[in-house]
Amino acid sequence: MKLKRTIHQVFAIAKTDFLGIARNKTAIFFTLLFPLFFLIIIGFTFGTQGTGETSRIRVGTVNRDGITINVNGTASQNSTIGDAFVQALKDANFTVYEYDEYGDKDSEGTAAYDISRGEIKVSVVIPANFTEALSFQFTDSLGMPIPTKTLLDLYTDPSDPTGSIIAQQSILGFVSRFIEYYQGIVISQIPDAQMRDYAIVLADPITVSTSEADVSERPLRWIDYMVPGTLGLVLLWSGLNHASVAIADERTKGTFQRMIIAPVSPATVLAGKFISCLAIVYLSGVIMLASGILLFQVNLYWNIPAIVMSIFLGALSAIGLGLIISSLARNVEAANSITVLVSVPLQFFIGAFFPLSIMPEPAQVFGEALPFTKLVNTMQNIMTKNLPFEAVMPEVIYMTISGLILFNIGVIAYRLSLKRL
Amino acid sequence: MNLNDVEVNSITKRFEDTVAVDNVSMSVARGELFGLLGPNGAGKSTLTKMLCGMINPTSGKIEVGGFNIQDKPMKVKELLGVVPQDIVLYDYMNARENLAFFGRLYGLSGGKLRNRIEELLKFTQLDEKAVRRHISTYSGGMKRRVNIAAALLHDPQVILLDEPTAGLDPKNKLALWEIIRTLHNGGKTIMLTTHMMDEAEELCNQVAIMDKGKIIALGSPRQLIKKVKMENTITVVPDKITPKLIETVKKISGVKKSYRAYDENEKVETLKIITKKAEDILPDVVSAILSVETKILSVELSRVTLEDVFILLTGRSLREEERQV
Repeated sequence: MKLKRTIHQVFAIAKTDFLGIARNKTAIFFTLLFPLFFLIIIGFTFGTQGTGETSRIRVGTVNRDGITINVNGTASQNSTIGDAFVQALKDANFTVYEYDEYGDKDSEGTAAYDISRGEIKVSVVIPANFTEALSFQFTDSLGMPIPTKTLLDLYTDPSDPTGSIIAQQSILGFVSRFIEYYQGIVISQIPDAQMRDYAIVLADPITVSTSEADVSERPLRWIDYMVPGTLGLVLLWSGLNHASVAIADERTKGTFQRMIIAPVSPATVLAGKFISCLAIVYLSGVIMLASGILLFQVNLYWNIPAIVMSIFLGALSAIGLGLIISSLARNVEAANSITVLVSVPLQFFIGAFFPLSIMPEPAQVFGEALPFTKLVNTMQNIMTKNLPFEAVMPEVIYMTISGLILFNIGVIAYRLSLKRL
Repeated sequence: MNLNDVEVNSITKRFEDTVAVDNVSMSVARGELFGLLGPNGAGKSTLTKMLCGMINPTSGKIEVGGFNIQDKPMKVKELLGVVPQDIVLYDYMNARENLAFFGRLYGLSGGKLRNRIEELLKFTQLDEKAVRRHISTYSGGMKRRVNIAAALLHDPQVILLDEPTAGLDPKNKLALWEIIRTLHNGGKTIMLTTHMMDEAEELCNQVAIMDKGKIIALGSPRQLIKKVKMENTITVVPDKITPKLIETVKKISGVKKSYRAYDENEKVETLKIITKKAEDILPDVVSAILSVETKILSVELSRVTLEDVFILLTGRSLREEERQV
């Protein structure tokens, strides 16, 4: 009987709290639509970039593959694979600008100049030994191929780290598929089986001056990474924002005091608030994901139980932090100010919009320590790489521990705030 | 058998160095309409908060309906209906939704809750059209009525009303007094905190006057007025009230007290003079006022009120206290 009554009370508080958002246009905008607005703006700006749609990436090629080099004591001038590489870039729908006067060293300088002017986003320098190395032409005295590395240089614009990373990722994904395809052809044409096996061992001789790799089973665009990442932002904007004003607002209006003088325990009030915050986080998350699908046709994996569970764990931290703010703030205005002060800077450190890798090391360490960053990583791993829940266990454990710590501190702050009534 | 619904025994509440309520004892009998009077800062709100379990006393004991509030807080909360001074409602919900929410907090649900809401909407005279609108569109008087209804949902035996008519116009004030009287006639025990002495005099059959955390007078309004052994008040509206004028009037033989007051109905500052025999000293009062080059706009003789009692007991005007606060 008592339990039934408590459940009624919890849901009455949650429903009333939820109605407060649903019937307030400003609250709807800032809680539900503002994150969506951000997603749309950033999605249309960067979203379609990535390996899936490459036409917006302007690539300059400096093809030195035709320069004469010494191969096994003989002069060789073969640009077959270098030319094929440039053609394949065009076929892959990159916008290609060729700086290809063979042997003209100024071509590289011209490409760099064009990067600095924003004419191209990235330049790829194809080395002179590209064809010879990829087709195993360097041999020892017995005619056996010898390992020969060929260095493909990528130059990007340091003043545009985000655009550079997008372009770099796209080229890296392209290079890896190109090598796989062409070396497959070259190896299959070697008549001797023993030589073929040896060539397989030597395969992949290209070294690229960047170290990122394409990690997904599917070709992904920037937006495909971004949409799962926005769930981290949902925690900050919807979860933290709402939780931080939930109690402060009621205290300012006096409704909190009225609840406390009813036969309702403080824990019941808290449970009601928690449920409504959670409902808002999930609703906001659904809106973000649905918008990603409808507006940008995001290509994701849907492990629903893992997604729901991870959001719950992330929400524990957001709501806990919100409770701390809400309990310490004297009124709703103060709670709002503190929340803005906390959530606005934090959104840049969770890796949702900008990769943490482009940040200075201390910022990366700080970002990695945030439970919201863990949620972003978890969501990207589950939804873009189709990793099983077990594979994201370290992040899940981290979110659980930090969530419990923050939520418990929030409860303590809430109990202390009751003494100020 | 204990016939008192509220028992307060030697209650003290300290906030660091400040004593907000100082060793207060009082009792409210079942069915009584009890007024707790005093200026802002007198300790009324702190005492009320302790009565409804929002804060704990530093020492002493409070019993409501025979239950100690510290031992059985939930039991006491079920017996109490608290009407806060401010309008404490969700302005984005309509009256019915607000009442449903507060009803659920008190464990009501289903048909019982629906019936009770309809009963109270009728009791507070809110028409169906208004009930469907959000609270934010209501007039002050309508909000006050819903505010009261929200405290009555669980049909409490003891009702605490904290300044229920504050800020209301005379028409709405009278309507609310009628609601309070009906509740009282229905056998409810009512504790009313107010700083409006006319309200207490009109409604309460027992009052306690609080000042600086202590109860300085306790009894029926008639008893308290009798206690000061003064009968009349001369209320003068001069064109200006100066300290010199007050001092001059004070020197007149037979004047017990003279002070500046504010007539809320007429919205004018008045000079009040408390005396045993107003008719005898009236000519002296008029000449004294004219002697300090002040015009008299009106003069009125009336009997002593609770407000005058407060001034005689404390030496200060209630309104002065409020203005200082």
